[in-house]
Amino acid sequence: MNFEQTATQQPTVMVAPDAAERVLDVRGLDFFYGKHQALHGVDLPVARGKITALIGPSGCGKSTLLRTLNRIYDLYPGQRAQGDIHFNGENVLAPGVDVTSLRARIGMVFQRPTPFPMSIYENIAFGVRLQRKVGRTEMDEIVERALGRAALWDEVKDKLHQSGLGLSGGQQQRLCVARGIAVEPEVLLLDEPASALDPLSTAKLETALLELKDSVTIVIVTHNLQQAARISDYTGFMLMGRLVEFRPSSDAFVKPETQAMRDYVTGRYG
Amino acid sequence: MAQVSGSRIVRRKLVNGFFVALTSLATLVAVGALVLILFSLFKNGIGGLHASVFTQDQPPPGEAGGLRNAIVGSLLMCGGAMVLAVVVGILAGTWLAEYGEGNRLAGVVRFLNDVLLSAPSILIGLFVYELLVRPFHGFSAYAGAVALALLATPVVTRTTEDILRLQPGALREAGMALGAGRGLVIRSIIWKASRTGLVTGGLLGFARISGETAPLLFTSLGNPFLSFQLGQPMAALPTTIFQFALSAYDDWRQLAWAGALIIAVAVLATNIIGRALARGSAHK
Repeated sequence: MNFEQTATQQPTVMVAPDAAERVLDVRGLDFFYGKHQALHGVDLPVARGKITALIGPSGCGKSTLLRTLNRIYDLYPGQRAQGDIHFNGENVLAPGVDVTSLRARIGMVFQRPTPFPMSIYENIAFGVRLQRKVGRTEMDEIVERALGRAALWDEVKDKLHQSGLGLSGGQQQRLCVARGIAVEPEVLLLDEPASALDPLSTAKLETALLELKDSVTIVIVTHNLQQAARISDYTGFMLMGRLVEFRPSSDAFVKPETQAMRDYVTGRYG
Repeated sequence: MAQVSGSRIVRRKLVNGFFVALTSLATLVAVGALVLILFSLFKNGIGGLHASVFTQDQPPPGEAGGLRNAIVGSLLMCGGAMVLAVVVGILAGTWLAEYGEGNRLAGVVRFLNDVLLSAPSILIGLFVYELLVRPFHGFSAYAGAVALALLATPVVTRTTEDILRLQPGALREAGMALGAGRGLVIRSIIWKASRTGLVTGGLLGFARISGETAPLLFTSLGNPFLSFQLGQPMAALPTTIFQFALSAYDDWRQLAWAGALIIAVAVLATNIIGRALARGSAHK
């Protein structure tokens, strides 16, 4: 079976949430690494208060898509995006956008845990202080609430002032989630957050994400199909830089409509 | 499972044993040389190491005295040099590592830094002589400190760049993803994560200059008296050792050994202390 043909010939199957429900709305997004085009006209609706999972074989562009949403790719000269990413009526890709406040509203958690070289408490206070001045008592409350929502409070409440680097991998990843949500973002992006974690830590992370989705919209890139099926409300399947199928997860995994997604989900390739 | 034939296993074990022996021997040679140097330093230097070495200035031949003027001079000039080298080196290394990607100027700077890294120290001495000694008509501690700083800066620059490059890109992205600017990410996250390496860079720079003699001969010259005047010639341990070791007087040569021992112990101690500090702060 020819990959390229599958990707380009088949029309996109899209069962999207209502426009009114969308917090992020990606339209016709192209992305380039220098001259190499990694995304081709991608549309992605992200429903408020839901978990949207992006799946697909390695190199299909799902991480790239995620990295455009908070413009973290800006860091690297030579990478550029074209198209529209509507976020609260504003185009994220417009030249005048203040990326600092954009990133305060769209948080991100990475594949490998990235605790800052400071205490658990300071890891969370760092981002909060970037936004505004906060008194000691209020900061204590923010830290406790963020750690609680990330299902980490009970494990670290007695060692808040020890280094975040001393935690286990799973705890570090939940610390990164706590750090991300402490600034009260509207959206949290997660790029394969569980790929370096053991099954037990993964389960704890998933529990935390499920509890978070009432207050934060979540977009998660994952290689783990079970994980996508377990926690997500919508699933987007990507192939060769295109979004091939996007549907509510309850349908997508039971009866994929495109041949490509069927093959991927049943493990025929990927 | 494939059967591995007996002769093959024997051969593997022989080859393995051969290379283990070879690497052990190489280690032994390297460590042995160091031990021999330290041993002869202690053997010859310990006898001259009295309290008076630290409390009295260098004597005329045949009289009792110490190395106080040289020790003070070395501390002042190395201290000044390290302040300059650490500030310039860390900033330059940070620029190379964080902003030098795909930048042609960075490539040039990196190349020149590598050239400077291996430049003979006597050339540095002559350069500073032309730059700071001749125009001002006099040797000075300032010139000495600048010459030493020129030697230490490339070391600090190089280690800083290498160390910062070891930090994962995701750590930078994580800081930016919270809305922090690039400068803040570097100052409060990347430098902090790299502090062990940065301290090591400073120590390497100090180790590089603490025994340097040639650049000081052209710049600070030396001074038989205790001096705190930075605009005047100043004594330093290496230059005093050089002068005393070449002399015909036994008591001067004894002091030279004591001075050499002091330098060696000082470098060893700063290394140990610096590493301990870095380790301690990393685990807090």
